[in-house]
Amino acid sequence: MSYRVKLNIFEGPFDLLVYLIEHARMSIYDIRISEITTQYIDYIRQMEEADIVLSSEFMVLAAELLEIKSKMLLPRTSIDDIEGEIYEDPRTELVAKLQEYKKFKAISAMLEERRDDTAMALEKPQEDLAEYTGEPDEYLSLDIEQFKTAFELFIQRKKRLEELRAHHIRTEKERITTEVRMAGIRQFFKSEGLRETDFRSLVPNKKDKYDISVTFTSVLEMMRQRTLDAKQKKLFGEIKVKATDRLFEEGETIKEN
Amino acid sequence: MASKKTIKSAIESMMFVWGEPLSVKAVADIFNMEKKEIYDCFKELQTEYEQEGRGIVIREVNKSFQFVTRKENLDYIERLCTPVRKRRLSQSALETLAIVAYKQPVTKGEIEAVRGIRCDRVMDGLIRKGLVAEVGRADSVGRPILFGTTDEFLKQFGFETLKDLPEIEDIEGALAEEEDDAMALDGILGQISLEDINR
Repeated sequence: MSYRVKLNIFEGPFDLLVYLIEHARMSIYDIRISEITTQYIDYIRQMEEADIVLSSEFMVLAAELLEIKSKMLLPRTSIDDIEGEIYEDPRTELVAKLQEYKKFKAISAMLEERRDDTAMALEKPQEDLAEYTGEPDEYLSLDIEQFKTAFELFIQRKKRLEELRAHHIRTEKERITTEVRMAGIRQFFKSEGLRETDFRSLVPNKKDKYDISVTFTSVLEMMRQRTLDAKQKKLFGEIKVKATDRLFEEGETIKEN
Repeated sequence: MASKKTIKSAIESMMFVWGEPLSVKAVADIFNMEKKEIYDCFKELQTEYEQEGRGIVIREVNKSFQFVTRKENLDYIERLCTPVRKRRLSQSALETLAIVAYKQPVTKGEIEAVRGIRCDRVMDGLIRKGLVAEVGRADSVGRPILFGTTDEFLKQFGFETLKDLPEIEDIEGALAEEEDDAMALDGILGQISLEDINR
């Protein structure tokens, strides 16, 4: 089975090269190119063997190193000196780049220290000032950047939620259906031997709104089937529910079947 | 016109309520006075708090001021409660931030040239953290976006203004000294181990 390891030790090709140069105790101004190129390429090979995904930039620097190496192998002709041309060290450009890189690496270390130090002083985040301003909550005293961040956060949250919904299903305790309740009502009239009752007595759990409404729709459905008859004398008053003959007949037909 | 004492007292109250850095301009508008005068009042207050060794000190962030706790008291605060620590920045984020801070306004291409590696993701992270923001566009071909640091950067790294960023030469000097020290130490250690062997 193949697996992938991601090493974060080297932030880029320069980081690796600077490390190798320092490790070999070389001066950055007098890099022994041949030695360092070999080491650099060896290191890249090792990382490849470890199945580390290397960005192309590492290869680019390897190529640059090889180019410098080959240039340095070329003999310096004396003609150049006669013509007064100044011999330019092929390493010059690389040295300048590395110097620049080292400079910013030093700065980043300084910044890290400063951040740690500054974090020791705590600030109090701004509290909700609505109480002082008396302005409506919708009033936004944000600059465009803060607003942007807030909006991005909102989008992120939405994305997360959608992802969650795509992978998970919300499960709920199965709730009673109209069919079940209708059977219950039929049973109620038969076992009690009653023909008429209050709507309220048909609801098992009077505090549950869902239970009340499912009973109500069941009653309506049964009225449609003409197995029940209901009357309400005044607005919001008691509902009297009456069983018709059909309700009892229906039961019998089922029994016969 | 309000007396200096009144203004300073008012500034103190306003900073207390505001929490976030309170800008000199906002206060100058309230008193209808020159920004310079108000700035001086802030500075005087800052000195007073500092000199009296108060547990609250005044921090300046780009011409704005806010109350913060004295660094030395962090230990005691932590015994009382656990303040949320800002997460550390990755090495690549710090490097990129260093380049933006010292070269701003700077394009992504220029940053990548220094680091020798692409930095889109790192930059996105810094922008999301509010440490770096777009500041305009370069006049060169393609009009690439220019980036710079934000006030949040100044605040988190304890700089009053961008002018406070230490000179690069100073940092390099300090670094070179450190290297020398390390070399010297290596030498001593080398000697000791040799002597040990001789024994």
